[in-house]
Amino acid sequence: MTYLHLFWIHLRLGVLNELQYRTNLGVQLLQSFVGLATSLLGLGIIFSKTDTLDGWLPAELLVVVGVYMIVSGLTQMIVRPSLTRFMEDVRLGTLDFMLTKPVDAQVLASMRQVEIWKLIDVLVGMAVLVVAVVRLGAAIGIEEALLFLLALTCGVVIIYSFLVILATCAFWFVKLDNILNIFQSMYEAGRWPIGIYPPWLRSVLTFIVPVGFAVTVPSEGLTGRTSPTLLLGALGLAIVLPLVARLFWRFGIRHYSGASA
Amino acid sequence: MPASTSASSAARPNAAYANPIIRLNNLRKVYNVPERESGLGASVRSLWSRETKDVVAVGDISFDVAPGEIVGFLGPNGAGKTTTLKMLSGLLHPSEGTATVLGYVPWQREKAYLQQMTLVMGQRNQLAWDIPVADSYELNQAIYRIPDAQYRQTLSELSDLLDLGPLLTKPSRNLSLGERMKCELAGALLHQPRVLFLDEPTLGLDITAQRRIRSFVAEYGARHNATVLLTSHYMADVEALAERVIVIHHGVLLFDGPLSGLVERFSPYKTVTVDLDGPASDIDRFGEVMQVEEGRITLQVPKGDAAAVTARLLAELPVVDLSVTDPPIDEVIDRVFNTGEAATESRIAAGATPEPALA
Amino acid sequence: MIDLVYLYRAQFKVTIAEQFQYRGALVIWLLGLMLEPVIYLSVWAAVANSQGGQVDAFTAADFAAYYLIAMMVDHAGFTWIMWEMEYWIRQGNLSALLVRPVHPIHRHIANNLTFKLLTFFVLLPVVIALAVIYRPNFTITTESLLAFIPALTLAMALRFAVEWTLASLAFWVTRVSAINQLWFVAFLFLSGFAAPIALLPSFAQTLAHWLPFYRMLGFPVDVLLGHLSPQQVLTGLGAQVAWLVVAYVVLQFTWARGIRQYSAVGA
Repeated sequence: MTYLHLFWIHLRLGVLNELQYRTNLGVQLLQSFVGLATSLLGLGIIFSKTDTLDGWLPAELLVVVGVYMIVSGLTQMIVRPSLTRFMEDVRLGTLDFMLTKPVDAQVLASMRQVEIWKLIDVLVGMAVLVVAVVRLGAAIGIEEALLFLLALTCGVVIIYSFLVILATCAFWFVKLDNILNIFQSMYEAGRWPIGIYPPWLRSVLTFIVPVGFAVTVPSEGLTGRTSPTLLLGALGLAIVLPLVARLFWRFGIRHYSGASA
Repeated sequence: MPASTSASSAARPNAAYANPIIRLNNLRKVYNVPERESGLGASVRSLWSRETKDVVAVGDISFDVAPGEIVGFLGPNGAGKTTTLKMLSGLLHPSEGTATVLGYVPWQREKAYLQQMTLVMGQRNQLAWDIPVADSYELNQAIYRIPDAQYRQTLSELSDLLDLGPLLTKPSRNLSLGERMKCELAGALLHQPRVLFLDEPTLGLDITAQRRIRSFVAEYGARHNATVLLTSHYMADVEALAERVIVIHHGVLLFDGPLSGLVERFSPYKTVTVDLDGPASDIDRFGEVMQVEEGRITLQVPKGDAAAVTARLLAELPVVDLSVTDPPIDEVIDRVFNTGEAATESRIAAGATPEPALA
Repeated sequence: MIDLVYLYRAQFKVTIAEQFQYRGALVIWLLGLMLEPVIYLSVWAAVANSQGGQVDAFTAADFAAYYLIAMMVDHAGFTWIMWEMEYWIRQGNLSALLVRPVHPIHRHIANNLTFKLLTFFVLLPVVIALAVIYRPNFTITTESLLAFIPALTLAMALRFAVEWTLASLAFWVTRVSAINQLWFVAFLFLSGFAAPIALLPSFAQTLAHWLPFYRMLGFPVDVLLGHLSPQQVLTGLGAQVAWLVVAYVVLQFTWARGIRQYSAVGA
């Protein structure tokens, strides 16, 4: 597979690149633990004042923290840096080089830049998840685990598609280089189960910025509070949104090349 | 006007090519750009209404290029060169007209086409900034699916031609401009493209580096029978590389033919330089005096009069040495661009097509 | 001085024109800026609700008042210099700014203030709409409003000076995103953003009082909402001034050293 091979090379280049800035490993370790500490401190403060948050127990919210870190680690490792670079390429005109290559530009744009140390976020997230599961004890069976994996996969696909749609906007709005940073700050909302938000914000976080599907739904799967409607919704969105992203991307490319003008 | 290789009677010059590798037919690109005045008021107004206007970047250009040809594509900034190259490399859709390269329609961007061509832009970089050049190349190997053996062979060939050896292990950010351009070029040629679009490949380089790039392009073209369409601001590039030049200005094709024909066509003068052994007076009766140095006079003489003036100079002045040359190509080109507009208009007024009627 | 006035006026005009040009990005920026306080407001409102309506002295309506004001203070104080500086240095654009006969900080101050002025008119309706949804309990007196003005001004100046200093670390560090993140996390907890600092455990409260973070966000909010005694207000203003002096000295130092570093490397 050409694309797997390409991904492998990018991964390797990502590692090589990071090795040049060796301090980055230390810095990223620090960053991951600071991120974890942020979540735990937040939980600590909250649960020093209450026993449950909107029906979630501390250990269950730890699941949310773990899922949050895994999903954000995955996107920040590959998708976000790649798409950031893509948007810069649009602005600087270097995108032209990518478009003259005989490979699919969307695939290339989605994996061109790998920030390998973000993997630590993923690992830490997994560790947190394990701790949470142990603390939840017997409550988790095969069924929950499968629902969780299904929902997590859907969540990652949804977030990826969403980010592609955001980045594609760069074809029309030149100064959008911060849009992905902003998304990150919206993604922060996923540190908490979206049920705590007022209805209007919950809809925003479900349908406009699909953080709810990426973090809350998998967490619900693991903690045995799956709502069939939401899971079906996640499945549907995981099928539809990549298609939408693809169409929008092609529309963007056509706009860029002046075909639609 | 002297007859030339291309048929000036045909609707399109160089239509004589049986199997053109590049063929443009009335290619046209019109941009719709927002128009905005400066100032706060205008900024606020532009919130709800954006005025736009059409700008013709390329207007009805036609030409053919034969396999293995190296063509210099000339024109001042904004003439439409880059737009044309972008259409030919599949980055832009034309507004009207057709083009085929290697039998493909470029903007359909078929992989088979992209696999066989390359685009190099002197002002933009595609090597990854932070990683060694060789690693960037490996990426290109994967993208173009170049078999290992071929990759190694091509790389060593390019590396010999361009003297890349020690550069390959350095990250591109540590290279000088000239070194970076050499590496860019090599990276763009690893997949052995049959068609090369080079947009200002020598921009900003020093003379040595320019020369190096030039001789490389010539050598590469000859070895691989590659077709090259090259834009440059440096006439030296074009003189060294291209036997044929295409001149566009304001999106209109002004000239298509051999470089010598360009001089012929656009410079109605010859430069006559005489070295004198003694005083000379009243020299402007021979022609327009360009320069007077000690013992040397440079004159500009209408082409038709050159022979007569030479004879008179030899007869009337103490001439030691005399030479008749064409004016420097830079000057000619400058003249073309300065008079291009007028020329185009007058030809349109005379009922001719805005296409090049010459060569 | 007169020159500076002209400079600021010109920069003002350019920024406004730019922001209108890039209005898509502007809206997205604002959304992000407004979302974060809403997240914490929602969390604390949920906590208050599951505790029968009150967490310590805070009711849901108090939280609403706190976070709506915090949103405006955060808007007034935030800067984007850390990203911009990294970009300037990495792209070599800083050289162009350095050869001008004015300090680049003026460009950024003018830019920042213009942006705030412009976006305030977007922020205000949002705050009002949120006020309708969350029904905050505002108890603002004339005195607290009067004290709020210097508190806010000092908070803005302090945050600007500190973040400019952090940004100038980009002269030495190639990738400053990690430093930025550390800064933001510390800011999140110790400024009173994640929770009003009255709700933090006592050691964290002590820490917040001795560090500058709280003086950049939570303090002006607490001043305006009358959470503090006159004594505390005066101490706080004094702390702001002291930190500002420190930040100014450090800024001068790092900037000068940074420029030297920049020119030594040869940009």
